[in-house]
This record gives sequence, C-alpha cells and structure tokens, in this order.
Amino acid sequence: MTPGEPLVRWDWIFSHLGDVGQRLGEHLLLTGIAIGIGFVLSLCLAQLVRSWSWLYGPITWITGVLYTIPSLALFAFLIPITGLSRLTAEIGLVSYTLLIMTRNIVAGLQAVPADVRESAIGMGYTDRQLLWRIEMPLALPVILAGVRVATTTTIGLTTVTALIGQGGLGYFILEGILRFFSTPLLVGAFLSIALAVAVDSALVLYQRLVTPWAR
Amino acid sequence: MHQERYRAPVTRSAAQTPGGVSVELRGVSKRYGGGATAFIGVDNISLAIAPGDFCVLVGPSGCGKTTTLKMVNRLIEPTSGQIFIDGQDISTLDAVELRRRIGYVIQQVGLFPHQTIAENVATVPRLLGWDSERIRRRVEELLSLVGLDPGVVRRRYPTQLSGGERQRVGVARALAAEPPLMLMDEPFGAVDPIVRGRLQDEFLRLHAQLGMTVMFVTHDIDEAIKLGTTVAVFSEGGCLAQHAPPSRLLASPASDYVARFVGSDRVIKRLALISLADVALELGAGPQGAPTLARTSNLRDALSTLLSTRADAVTVVGEDGVAIGAISMERIRMALDDVARSWPENEASSEGPAGRTH
Ligand SMILES: Nc1ncnc2c1ncn2[C@@H]1O[C@H](COP(=O)(O)OP(=O)(O)OP(=O)(O)O)[C@@H](O)[C@H]1O
Ligand SMILES: [Mg+2]
Repeated sequence: MTPGEPLVRWDWIFSHLGDVGQRLGEHLLLTGIAIGIGFVLSLCLAQLVRSWSWLYGPITWITGVLYTIPSLALFAFLIPITGLSRLTAEIGLVSYTLLIMTRNIVAGLQAVPADVRESAIGMGYTDRQLLWRIEMPLALPVILAGVRVATTTTIGLTTVTALIGQGGLGYFILEGILRFFSTPLLVGAFLSIALAVAVDSALVLYQRLVTPWAR
Repeated sequence: MHQERYRAPVTRSAAQTPGGVSVELRGVSKRYGGGATAFIGVDNISLAIAPGDFCVLVGPSGCGKTTTLKMVNRLIEPTSGQIFIDGQDISTLDAVELRRRIGYVIQQVGLFPHQTIAENVATVPRLLGWDSERIRRRVEELLSLVGLDPGVVRRRYPTQLSGGERQRVGVARALAAEPPLMLMDEPFGAVDPIVRGRLQDEFLRLHAQLGMTVMFVTHDIDEAIKLGTTVAVFSEGGCLAQHAPPSRLLASPASDYVARFVGSDRVIKRLALISLADVALELGAGPQGAPTLARTSNLRDALSTLLSTRADAVTVVGEDGVAIGAISMERIRMALDDVARSWPENEASSEGPAGRTH
C-alpha cells in the first residue's frame, strides 16, 4: 500500500462497478452450484441411511474426512487431475457441504415422531409418499438449518477458488494482496461477508414462509 | 317368553348394520425374534367378528392387543395363521390398498403437524384421488360429525387444538373415506375422564349411525363394557381368554382369570347393562311416596335409588311421566337370573348375540 493513500478509494470502486457485479455473480454461481449439487448428494446419502441405518457411521466418517482436508490442500491434490478448472473448484466446494447437510437431513428425518409415521403408514401412504409428503416437510426446519450453515461456509470458501482462477469475490482479495492495494481487498472481504448475511437472511425468510405450522 | 323379552331389545344384530365387514382371525400367532430369545406376542388367537360389530380387545399391558390390531391392517405380519376381512385372506391383498379401506386411530393420534386440520382429515380421500370439491364437502361434513365447528378449526394446525379436539380430528380423519372397518388403539386414552366419556358417547352414536365394524383396544374394562357389542379379553402371553357380549362376560366369565379381570363388582356392572325397559316389572305403581325413575334408566340406577332412599320399591315411569310399574330388590335379583338363563348353555363363547343396552 502506498503511504498516504486512503484506505478506500471510492473512485476505484465506481470505475469498477461492472467488474464488481461480475465477480459477485460468479461468486453466487459457484456457491449456488456447490449447494445445489451438495444438497442432492446429501439427500441421496440420507436416503441410503434411511434404508440401511448401519451406513450412517461410514458415511459420516467419509464426509467428515472430506470436511477436515484443508481447502488448499484439496485443490493442490485435484489440479493434476482436473486442472485449474471450475470442476476442481466445485469438487472442493461440494465436498465441504456434504457432512453438514447429510447430518442434518438424517437428523431431521429421524426426528419425525413415530406416531406420525405410524398413522401415515397405517392410512395407506406408500414409502415414497411418506418420505416426500410427511417426513421431508416435517424435517424441513432442521434441513434448512443445515443448508444455512453449509451456504455461509461455502460463500466463505468460494473466496479461495480465485486462487485457481475461478473468479468470485476472492479475485479482489487476491488482487489487493498482490498489488498492496487495500481498496479491492476490502471490497472483496466486505462483499463476501455481506453476501453471506444476505443469503442467510433470505433462507431464514424462506423457512418461515414454507413452515407456517412451526410458528 | 323371557328370552324374547330380554334378548330382542338388547340385541343389535349384524343385519341392521350393513356398513361393516366381517373380520376373522384364524389361529393367528406373532412371535418376535427367533431361537432362544423368541417372544410370543400373540398366541394362536381365533376371533370372529360379525359385520357391524363393535369388538373391544381388552387386557393387561403387554398382552398383545396392539399387535393383534396391527396385524389386521398389516402393519405387523403374523408369524402363522390367517386373517380374513369380508371373507378375503388379507395376505393376498395389496397392503397399501388394504390400509386405505381401513380407518386407523392410535392413542397418540398421530396428526400431521405440518398440515391444517382440513388437510389432515382429507388424508385418505386425497390418497384415493377424490376431486377437491368432493374432499372439501366431506371434510366439512366430518368435522361437524365429530362435533367440531369447521369454520373455526379447518385452517388451524394440530398444535392449536386441545387434546380432546385432536382426538376428534383423529376419528374424523379415520372416518373420511367411510371405511367399513375401523381399528382404534386406545383412542380415548390420553384425555381426562369427562372428555373421554363424551367422546365415547359420541362415538357410540357414530357407530349406530354408520354401522361400520370396529375393533377397539383398551385396557379399561369399564370402557370395554360400555362400548362393545362383544368384548375379547386377553391374558398374559397373548392368549384370548374369552370373547363374548359384555352381559355374558359379566354373568358367566369363562375362567377365574376373566372373573378377576372384570372385577369383583361385576354384578353391579351387569346391572348397568340392563335397562328398566327390558325388565319384568311389578304391575302398578310402587307404594305411596316411592321414588320414581324413568324407564330408560338401568337396574344399577334402581338399586342405587333403593339403597339411598331406603324405599321398598321404585316406581318406573314412561316418557309421559305415567307409572308403568314398579321394581323392588327382589325383582332386580330375578332380572339378573333371567338374563343369565336366557343364554343357551352350550353356545360357543366366541359366537352368540351382540348385546348392549342403551
Ligand atoms: N417389535 C417388537 N419386538 C419384540 N417384542 C415386541 C415388539 N412389539 C411388541 N412386543 C412385545 O409383545 C408383547 C405384546 O405387545 P403389544 O404392544 O401388543 O401389547 P399391548 O397389549 O398393546 O399392551 P399395552 O396395553 O401396554 O399397549 C409385549 O410384551 C411387547 O413387549
Ligand atoms: Mg398397546
């Protein structure tokens, strides 16, 4: 940083508004894809646990290991295989969402009261109807709690994907560090925090909207 | 003569109730686990229930009542034996379709917390694919039928109702598609005695009106006697000790076990089952100043009045208040003997008349 220069140069921000919008969009896209794929995979894993409960141990062990690998180490490990690609970024991001979301979906499904399940089956719900019309809606608050944690975590992690050239708000942070220039660094940091807060609030609102019975 | 006098009024024959199906359990057993740790939940039970009958399964905790009930809608598969509904072996039917034709109510009610009361009640009609207008009308009708105001409760969630109201919704939901058979597992167990009494009365009225066959589980012998046209007494180890109409169960228990289970006050309970309208009364009014009772009262009321007023006889009056006869202690004793004598000696205990006075 050049001595005497202000911490935030607003003129830089205004002249880079288009850039900022683009990086914000990339960031949202990277996060959205990761959460989407992660959610579907977690749903499948939770389904396996619902049918074969002994799988719960192995599945949490594997997703737990994925969760503990440092992100940079994972990227370093993947680059020789999948290159500096979006695929690399997403593999990393998705693998961090699995533990939280699988655990919450399983917990949510298991928390469905036994009497509710019994009366549903007793009245003639098929197994699939039981899952989608009774168990999933009732598990929704717990599932969405998992989605919220996974989403805020992923928004934070996505800043790292700039390192493998996938853009996102991390690009500004990286640029700021490389050029000793505080403005983009602060823009990147501030926007990723703001994005996390905004998306989290939106999810809370969504949850209140779709679970009127839980109020 | 007496036989006619006693049996005709207290018998509700199956033919009057076309809304129900027959249920038959033939040598049904359920063993939990295998090998050395095997546990007999239900032990070789045979039970025939006529269409429109209200069969109450009663017995101490753990004697296999719930297991028996759940085998009828195939929530549990028997280890051996066969179950027939309307003459069809249920193991040959599709379990899901079978359950949609059977009403099911459990003690914890099991309403769906995320659905409104209207949606809960509409469960089976929706599964059966009724159109929405028909469902809407049916839901209104059912909520009124169980004594709830549709306008008030329809849009509420189960947590916004009292325990008694939830029980009613549970019954309404089970009745939704007019099932010819209702399975009820301690449906009124979780409410206070006053509400329970009211729910029992209302359900008796519904049963009289709709005529479906009912299998009802309770561990309360008084509830069993009040509700059942027949009562199946279970004993430890999942055995069926006796299946008979309540009056016969009280008058001639098949074993010491049944006698103990129905209680040492079984004579008093029997009195409550016999209406004054069904008793041979003394001609003419009682003595001057004798207490009066309506003919719709029962022998227990008469006994209670005799004891509390120290009178020799009670005058029985008709709906118009005119005396139609009198009843004394001696007549009460005679009436009990008559009822007992009116049963053929050798009739098998699992068959016979469905008797209940109301
Ligand atoms: N899944 C199961 N595995 C092993 N044993 C079982 C199982 N379900 C029930 N049992 C046993 O079978 C017996 C009968 O159970 P059931 O639930 O039919 O009793 P119940 O008559 O309904 O009792 P309660 O009045 O307490 O409800 C009990 O001793 C119970 O412990
Ligand atoms: Mg039980």
